[in-house]
Amino acid sequence: MKQRRPLLIGLAAVAIVGAIWMALFLRNPPQQTLDQRVHTIGEQLKCPVCQSESVADSSSALAQQMRGIIRQQLQEGWSDQEVIAYFQARYGEQIVWSPPWQGFSLLAWLVPIGLLLGGAVLIFFILRDWRTLSPEEGERAYKAELAHVDEAELAAYRALLEEELAEEDPIFAQPASGTEES
Amino acid sequence: MHFSDFGFIALILALGFAIYTGCSAVVGARRNSRLVLASAKRGVLVVAFFLVLSSAALIVSFLSHDFGVSYVAQHSSLAMPWYFTTAAFYGGQEGSLLYWALMLGIFSAIFALTAKRTVPVLVPYVIATLMAIQTFLLIVLVTVSNPFARLPVAPPDGVGLNPLLMDPGMLVHPPMLLMGYMSFSIPFAFAVAALITGKLDSEWLRSIRRWTLAAWTIQTTGLILGAWWAYHVLGWGGYWGWDPVENAALLPWLTSTAFLHSTMVQERRGMLKVWNLVLVVASFTLAIFGTFEVRSGIISSVHSFAYSDIGIYFLVFLVIVIVFSTLLFLYRLPKLRPEQEFDSPISREGIFLLNNLLLVGIAFATLWGTIFPLISAALRQQTMTVGPPFYNAVNGPIFLVLLLAMGIGPLLAWRRTSLRTVWHNLGVPALAAAACAAILPLAGVRDIWANIAFAVCTFTAGAIFYELWRGMRVRHRHGEAYPQALIMLIRRYRQRYGGYIVHLGLVMLAVGVIGSHFFQVQQDATLKAGQEMHIAGYSLKFYGNIGETYPGTTSVKSILQVWQGDQYEGFIYPGRVFYQNFGNQPASIIAITTFGLTDVYVFLADWNGASEATIRVFINPLTPLVWYGGAVMLLGGIVCWWPERRKRSVIKLSEMAGAVAQGERAVATAKQATKPTGRDDEEIVV
Repeated sequence: MKQRRPLLIGLAAVAIVGAIWMALFLRNPPQQTLDQRVHTIGEQLKCPVCQSESVADSSSALAQQMRGIIRQQLQEGWSDQEVIAYFQARYGEQIVWSPPWQGFSLLAWLVPIGLLLGGAVLIFFILRDWRTLSPEEGERAYKAELAHVDEAELAAYRALLEEELAEEDPIFAQPASGTEES
Repeated sequence: MHFSDFGFIALILALGFAIYTGCSAVVGARRNSRLVLASAKRGVLVVAFFLVLSSAALIVSFLSHDFGVSYVAQHSSLAMPWYFTTAAFYGGQEGSLLYWALMLGIFSAIFALTAKRTVPVLVPYVIATLMAIQTFLLIVLVTVSNPFARLPVAPPDGVGLNPLLMDPGMLVHPPMLLMGYMSFSIPFAFAVAALITGKLDSEWLRSIRRWTLAAWTIQTTGLILGAWWAYHVLGWGGYWGWDPVENAALLPWLTSTAFLHSTMVQERRGMLKVWNLVLVVASFTLAIFGTFEVRSGIISSVHSFAYSDIGIYFLVFLVIVIVFSTLLFLYRLPKLRPEQEFDSPISREGIFLLNNLLLVGIAFATLWGTIFPLISAALRQQTMTVGPPFYNAVNGPIFLVLLLAMGIGPLLAWRRTSLRTVWHNLGVPALAAAACAAILPLAGVRDIWANIAFAVCTFTAGAIFYELWRGMRVRHRHGEAYPQALIMLIRRYRQRYGGYIVHLGLVMLAVGVIGSHFFQVQQDATLKAGQEMHIAGYSLKFYGNIGETYPGTTSVKSILQVWQGDQYEGFIYPGRVFYQNFGNQPASIIAITTFGLTDVYVFLADWNGASEATIRVFINPLTPLVWYGGAVMLLGGIVCWWPERRKRSVIKLSEMAGAVAQGERAVATAKQATKPTGRDDEEIVV
């Protein structure tokens, strides 16, 4: 029972946090003010006359004018997408800061995400291979290595320190026999 | 005869000696001739000497206002103060290349002087590689990008430096960052030497790690200084815009960070050798790619240099580097087998793999976003932009996971850790994170992503502090006061605790980034004299504009009074400065007032006579943490890097073997007895 306590505490903490978040965000979902909406849209548009500045950040006259247009359109009840589409139609595709989720531009998003997932899958398979190594075998290898400590002496020492530190801890006081066996 | 002519002669001599040194190093190694090798080592010093001479000649040309030199005429003027005139040395393309060559020369000289500490077999090849890079730079300097080229008629006054560069940031950021770029060449040279000789032992690893750590620390400093400069000079309220040039500087930083972590796996377990070499080569290649990208002007950026056909030289060099390294890899691959296998996924090795995946993932996404417009233009003939929203969306979550891994990693043991140990080690920080996640929404933090990010930061910071505290307590039990225990811990395990300091700095930086990203408040206001504006609990009252004229510059400043709530906080003077020759590009004087951890950032956008001003005000919560975090990271880097005295470390090694043997005995006793008794900290903790 004592073994499970951290898990229970963890679950309780997650439940409490979840409850608080649900209560706060479901009861009154965050509302953006007009200023904030103008800023959010402006951030997604590149200022056409500046170098690497967004419409929201730039202090150029054109950006100011564009912010005015965004504000006016929002006040008239346009949606965020409509406003962006309006500017895209007027200034061309490159006014949108981030590549759209369609056509060729999709590659900009999918390639890094795909490679990252691919790498994660690769690591997962490597990990699965290691897991097949039985605990006894690992233990034996560990002891065999400790027997002639030379190159990995530092590693062994650190593992030792790690164990000791864990055992010294009053909060999680436990029998000193093994942090080694799982 | 002008000083610039001396400089040019020195450059040509440096080129000659660089070629000679590179060749003689290889010949000396092949024929195993001590004399030739000694000559090569001296050759490195001679190259450095001539580069120092050449740079001195350029600086003298600047300080003596020798406008007959085209580079001096373009980048300085009589009105500039002496420190900016000196800094103009690296303010343009030719000079910054010379600065590179100078730094490479100095680093090479430091290497040659400390070569005794590394494996002797490697030294000639490291020198040869460094000299090959140096030869490339010097060829470019002597042919297409000569800083000493003279004008037929000397103009009476120079053009002067771009106003954006006339800032204290100019004195620190470019030299740091350029040095950082260049310093990646030493680890690269070590990698090449190891691939040629096939000698990748622990001694090699120690040397390359130290050099990479130095490069990493310099690059970190350069990046942070760049962010700080952008923050207080550009006027858009931020410090990092995912500009292609910023990305270019970040890329080698990311890969070298990955390298510093995965070498620990190699150091202790003899694994990941090929991967580590790939990371070193990638860091250098990315540094060169960054230069190519910046100098060729193929990608538009705020950091515009005067473009020339120099880009093609760097492209050719880049291709040579990549092809050469790839061939070396193919040649050496059969020899690079891991010495051990992994034991368990839940171990520090496992988390280092994750760390590497994430860092390389960020690097790749950033690189991909940077070059995607080029790909798009080439394949579709359609230009497009990839801006901050893309990078934030892709890199933000990866970075968050990385931050989480950073908290978990140090708490896991090498080889394998049981799930129970994981629980024990992570319990306290996890509870701290949960508390943070529960309290913040109640305190008014309404953004879900910000909440998650803050909770992760709390977790990681908690894990680091918990780990520090546990180490301190063990020592405290053996009679050391807590502060002394902390100092002794850091002194005895520099790498480990230096690493924790870096991590802590990064968490601080992350908190700053999260704060300024999610909670920045911005407002524009056009004020007449006497009017005030209110923003997020602060009030600004406008009094009027004043104009000032100095030789070479005129400025306009607004006078504003800052109130926090009802409390008067003082006057601020945001303004604009006009430089002669750059009348249409006024530089900004941004008034940044820091209240605790919140910046009030005021930018003068426009003005009308003496009594009307349009100001743009940002409230940037937590932004100062970015700078504090950067300083902490720098400190941690230095702690990790700081050399240990050679003699002592030899003794320590033998001591350590003894101590491990004793430690084994202690474990054996511990396994028999229920509770180990009578452990002596000093015996076990070497």
